[in-house]
Amino acid sequence: MALFNELRRRNVFKVALLYALASLLVVWLVDSVQARFALPVWTDTFAYFILAVAFPVALWLAWTYEITPVGIKKADDVDQTQSIVYKTGQKLNAAVAVLLVLGVLAMLGQGLLPTFEFLVPDPPEGEAPISARTPPEIRSLTLGNGLEIIVWPDHDIPNVAMYNFVRAGGRNEYPGITGVSHFFEHMMFLGTENLEPGEFDRTMEAAGGRNNAYTNQDVTVYLDWFPRSALETIFELEADRFENLNIVPEVFESERQVVFSERRSSIDNNNAWKLLEQVQATAFVAHPYQFPVVGWPSDIGSWTQDDLVNFYRTYYAPNNRTIVVTGDVTTEEIFALADEYFAPIPAQPSPPPVRTVEPIQAGERRIAVGAPAQTPLLQAAFHSARAADPDALTLSLLLRILTDGDSSRLHRALVEDAGLALSVDSYLHEGFDPGLTLFLLTLPPGGDVDAAERRLLAELERVINDGVSREEVAKARNKLLADFWRELSTISGKAGALGRYQVFHGNYEKLFLQPELVEAITTEDLRAVATEVFRVTNMTVGVLRDPAAGAAR
Amino acid sequence: MKRVLLTAALACCALAGQAAAQGVTLPAVERVELDNGVVLLVTEQRDVPLVGLEVIVRGGAITDPDGKAGLASLMLGLMEKGAGSRNADAFAEAVDGVGGSLTTSAGLETLNISAEFLSRDTGLMVELVADMLQAPRFDGEELRKLRDRRIDLLRAAKDRDPRELSPLYGNAFLFTGHPYGRPVNGDETSLASLRASDVRGYYEDFVGANRLVIAAVGDFDAADMISLLTLAFADWRTVEGPLPEVPAAPPEDGRRVLLVDKPGATQSYFWIGNIGVSRSYPQRAELDIANTLFGGRFTSLLVDELRTKAGLTYSAYSALLRPSAPGSVAVVSYTKTSSTIEAIDLALGLLGRLHETGFDPELIASGKNYILGQFPPGYETAAQLAEQFANLEAFGLGAGYVNDYGAAVAAADVEAIQAVIDAVYPRQDDLVFVIIGDAETIRDSVAKYGPITEMALTDPRFSP
Repeated sequence: MALFNELRRRNVFKVALLYALASLLVVWLVDSVQARFALPVWTDTFAYFILAVAFPVALWLAWTYEITPVGIKKADDVDQTQSIVYKTGQKLNAAVAVLLVLGVLAMLGQGLLPTFEFLVPDPPEGEAPISARTPPEIRSLTLGNGLEIIVWPDHDIPNVAMYNFVRAGGRNEYPGITGVSHFFEHMMFLGTENLEPGEFDRTMEAAGGRNNAYTNQDVTVYLDWFPRSALETIFELEADRFENLNIVPEVFESERQVVFSERRSSIDNNNAWKLLEQVQATAFVAHPYQFPVVGWPSDIGSWTQDDLVNFYRTYYAPNNRTIVVTGDVTTEEIFALADEYFAPIPAQPSPPPVRTVEPIQAGERRIAVGAPAQTPLLQAAFHSARAADPDALTLSLLLRILTDGDSSRLHRALVEDAGLALSVDSYLHEGFDPGLTLFLLTLPPGGDVDAAERRLLAELERVINDGVSREEVAKARNKLLADFWRELSTISGKAGALGRYQVFHGNYEKLFLQPELVEAITTEDLRAVATEVFRVTNMTVGVLRDPAAGAAR
Repeated sequence: MKRVLLTAALACCALAGQAAAQGVTLPAVERVELDNGVVLLVTEQRDVPLVGLEVIVRGGAITDPDGKAGLASLMLGLMEKGAGSRNADAFAEAVDGVGGSLTTSAGLETLNISAEFLSRDTGLMVELVADMLQAPRFDGEELRKLRDRRIDLLRAAKDRDPRELSPLYGNAFLFTGHPYGRPVNGDETSLASLRASDVRGYYEDFVGANRLVIAAVGDFDAADMISLLTLAFADWRTVEGPLPEVPAAPPEDGRRVLLVDKPGATQSYFWIGNIGVSRSYPQRAELDIANTLFGGRFTSLLVDELRTKAGLTYSAYSALLRPSAPGSVAVVSYTKTSSTIEAIDLALGLLGRLHETGFDPELIASGKNYILGQFPPGYETAAQLAEQFANLEAFGLGAGYVNDYGAAVAAADVEAIQAVIDAVYPRQDDLVFVIIGDAETIRDSVAKYGPITEMALTDPRFSP
């Protein structure tokens, strides 16, 4: 009891309380400042360490020394009758009160610190949780026939990007017509009831415009880039081909050969794609994601005119499309042009849904491909999440930790440390249905395929068992954030990003939630998704090597 | 994809064209020359929180010693593998940690470092770039790893579609014995001969302040950026290694053929060309219009005939290589093995037609619109602008090279364009052919194009 009284007399308890309060305030400050000023990730850990170490020191100082009117003395040397510890105690009480007030103020007024708009999005507004982050100049409209139009004016350069998303791709095909979505993409450039084959491109290029298109397993996208002066010409051309396509038999046959040539280049003469085609066909046994987008050769050879006509009617209807326009335009003029050129195109019954769901894979699958090759290839595929699934974003963050950059885990383990691979890449299929997460390895000539596979799986196992570090997560987040801004720095990037979110996530405004969704992903989330996806029973492994290159290892 | 990526052809126009109608002009740039010769080009662009930094070391592959092709490029790659206080891992960690992008690329006449990053990380990225240039470690183990990996990657490239390789073989065969014939990134044998002493020697002779151009564009205060860069580079040494005057290669008389055997190939890839013009060719606008119409866009003569009408190929283009001395001009495409002769004959016929009939005024107007309409997107981002400014400075071209170009395109007339076609594009009798394909199947039939030299795709060089 005497000790307790002496502790109290020497203000040790008050110092302890004051220290605790001050520490809380410091911790809060470090957290806020770290986020806003992008201090190194160890800043907070370091601060906690210092605070913890200094605590006993402060208590010891409080016990040992005492403040007197003539300066600081050892408490044992002070004549107790002259002691002013009660005065010091009052000062300490005042300091505790001040800190408490400061703490409350800080909690209430987080806006005291300068905030950089691009780093810290404004806190959500209760009634409009999504649109609060969407730049207000972006507007959208759905025409009476179901066609969606999204416009993002941006007047940096006198040019416009117009991306036309059609919800039709490899997943809408079946044996016998595989590749037809991609072939159809070619036919869209080759003549309408009003324009001869080739006239579409000639008109667009003469007006200063350029175009391209791509087809994947989920969508077909038509891309136009043109000077503002060509705006009306482009609307006229696009409306015409989406309403009045005319398939000329001779053109059809010639274009069939072009697609054969495309297939020979991109698959037959390209080992990585040759293997990937087989891996996809092995990983999926039921779902149409098993088909190559360009089509199986026998199907390329046998598509009929009827296949194309049916496809056009079903999938190219306005109610199955989304158009994004970005660049040197006004919302009003685009809505007016859309109304004039696209509104008259009639809607069609909704396309049939893709009903097949891939059954759960119950065991490892392996596929071997033989081809002339100096460098063997190894691919590992795992069934994963559809684009709209929150797991997809978590996975994409994890893949950055694994393969993005020279400091990524797999690059270090497989390329730098062991020399087992020349390169390691990953790919996450983000589509309407659950697709594959892929690891693609190119091995050195004579490379050890089994050793590379073992190391790859060991690294994936390590994520499942030990998780990833906070530093790795911070790094991956920074990469995502930088890529986010990079994509939005061009009108093409803007058009692609808005369209992707509208089509695969159901609302383009979700694009602007991405930075904070990424911020909310925890190391535990990453480990959970790794555990879910990187199971050996969920894996398909493909190996390509040269049968003539000696005995297979 | 519907489209051939016409990058090779369009790259030639990267510095070309301006939408005269809209009056796009390069933004003003602040130019500062430090006492040691470093040139800084700085301008603000604040629409997104990004910074683009382009660094050029004048020199490039033409300064590679004989037999050491790929030395400058390897040295450049090694600069990222440890510099200043950071080893290779720490350096990669620093770049990746802030989400920055930092890439290096070697060219015939320049070595480029391109960085793009969030503006809050400017200090770190300038430090990294300064360390790469002024304090590279050239660690022996990193050198061995990078060199061996590059050799293996060349082999891996030969396992992919050889589309990307045919220009490499083409220029190597056309420019036999000339600096422009050297593969910029080396070949399997030249790379294997490179040692740490080569890399250090090259660095001491050719990489210094008097060869350096730095352009920065983006979200920063220009005065701050200039002091930051000045502080980082003002004390650097200069170098004395000679920048060679590359002689003009004589145009090829007659024909010769290089057949590169890829056994079992289902397609033949061809490159048909001759000596072309240099970067400073005075009728640049006329030539760009001609090349756009001949093989530089989707409705060009080559694509229209070979792909759209004949269905022989997925891709065809005409490529102009325009360095300081005359480069090359070539027709590039591919087709299935059985139509090799049909496609090459058609391409040769189109070359003839180009000379005989040229282009009518309506097509020329279309070509001008296309060049002008596609020009502004090349100047959209901070990184693009930084690259353009750095190139103009490194090649001694003024802003007029860009700013006056639109007017030159608009003013080009039919006769001048036809004269340029006659002067620049080769005649059918004077051509160098490179054909990559299944030699056993096509050897006899391609003999009609000229005397054949044969090599295998797996040979460790890009020329016989």
